[in-house]
Amino acid sequence: MNAVSTSLDTPSLLGARPAFADVAAEQLDAVFRYLVYLTGDRAAAEDLTAETFEKAFRSWRRFDPRRGSPRTWLCKIARSVAIDWFRAETRRRRREETYSRDVPLVEEFGDGLPGPLQEALRELSPAEREVVALRVLLELDGPSAARVLGISQTACSTRLSRALRRLEERMDDVRE
Amino acid sequence: MSASEFTVESMLRAHAPHAPEDLRARVLAPRPAPVRRWSLPPRRLALVALPAALGIAVTAALVSGIVRSGNHPAAVQHTFGSAGSSVGSGASTVPDTFSPHPVPSVTGRGIAVPQDNNALKAVATPSIASSRLAHTDASLQIRVGDTDALSAATTKATRIATSLGGYAKSVDYRTPRGGNGAAYIELRVPAQNVKTAISRLGGLGTIVSQELSVTDLQGKLETQSAQIAQLRRRVAALRTALADPALPDAQRVLLQIQLAESKRALAQRLSARRGTVTSGATARISLVIGTEKAIAPVAHHRGRLGRMLHSAVGFLALEAMVALYALIVISPLALAAALVWLWRRRSVERLLHAS
Repeated sequence: MNAVSTSLDTPSLLGARPAFADVAAEQLDAVFRYLVYLTGDRAAAEDLTAETFEKAFRSWRRFDPRRGSPRTWLCKIARSVAIDWFRAETRRRRREETYSRDVPLVEEFGDGLPGPLQEALRELSPAEREVVALRVLLELDGPSAARVLGISQTACSTRLSRALRRLEERMDDVRE
Repeated sequence: MSASEFTVESMLRAHAPHAPEDLRARVLAPRPAPVRRWSLPPRRLALVALPAALGIAVTAALVSGIVRSGNHPAAVQHTFGSAGSSVGSGASTVPDTFSPHPVPSVTGRGIAVPQDNNALKAVATPSIASSRLAHTDASLQIRVGDTDALSAATTKATRIATSLGGYAKSVDYRTPRGGNGAAYIELRVPAQNVKTAISRLGGLGTIVSQELSVTDLQGKLETQSAQIAQLRRRVAALRTALADPALPDAQRVLLQIQLAESKRALAQRLSARRGTVTSGATARISLVIGTEKAIAPVAHHRGRLGRMLHSAVGFLALEAMVALYALIVISPLALAAALVWLWRRRSVERLLHAS
């Protein structure tokens, strides 16, 4: 790290710009996790992560550390990339409706995540998994997560509680 | 957050996926630096462009104000043109000089004479070479004390016109409220008497405003005369040709048609030239005589700074109108763009909420 020695997760008060390579090394896992949760498809998440960093590299000059952390900025790019992927997927599924409907998702959301939790995550909508990823895995604060999602903080909190409640209910069912 | 939720969260965190090594290698591989293109983010662009546009608008208004205020506080509108247009014709050599009378300040199209300045009753009129045909258009606003004076002044105005060989084309006399009233008079006077007429009309009361324009008609007259001469030559040539007994019938019919057409065109040009001559021979004076309340006095003579500011504000208002017009034109497009944006946003929400 050659520009800042503090964590790259927090917006710099001084507005100092870290080096892109440092940011990429530090945020790669976070972006990958976010995309795995959002898409529910590890292979796609890998491709989208690479695409996200490609885009981020091209527009790195436009990143303003005073307006948010690199993680928030990368997540916004990742979300835009993922939405394009969702659109393409939807079109593809429409074209190959019969085939796609019968293909179950067999991806794992986490390394060694218990099966019931895996199942519970799969039952969530991408929007719910997305908020869980941002707030729980990436540990973004409320305002940053809301900014990435383009919704209000209240809506973000509501969505997170609903998602966690659904996960918990599912886990309770399994425990019983 | 409950303890069980905490457990779920802990589990999710503990088993969070990690980026595979090949992805790490792909992402962290050294890349050539992107080609730097000069661009500004939209917000920064707006932050630069808006004040810049505002600055340009204000500067343009100030420049316009300075240019329009001029060094000399007086100018009389001249409209010289061969076809009565406001653009000077190449043939026109009308001298742009004025009589050495005290020159009043300019308001709008013409001269405005401040009230209570008797010296300015001597009317400033643009001079024009007497050998050239020109049309004079004048308008005067005169204030009188009361309706009795208004009635007397109206009568005198028509008499002045008659005494100078002209006439009153229309008189509209109105006294709608007690003590107030106005008369709108359209006068026609011979062109050579226009100065005298304006001067005498100015004596009917206090001149509130005065506009005078002189349009050079000489070029137009010369063009019409040349066309008439050409048509006459053509008519003569056609008559000569038709007088030939050896002319074939078909040719004769054709020439007769051409002769009739030329005669019709000649008649039209003669009529137009008569109109031009009449227009040049007669000046039009629009006179408004009103009582104190009916005719508001013109603002007092402004200094150069005042005129500059007045002009600049006018220019700014014009710019604002243009901006408003642009906004009106752009707003449906902006609305459509906003609707598309909303629709896309909703489609994203639908997409991500589908489980």
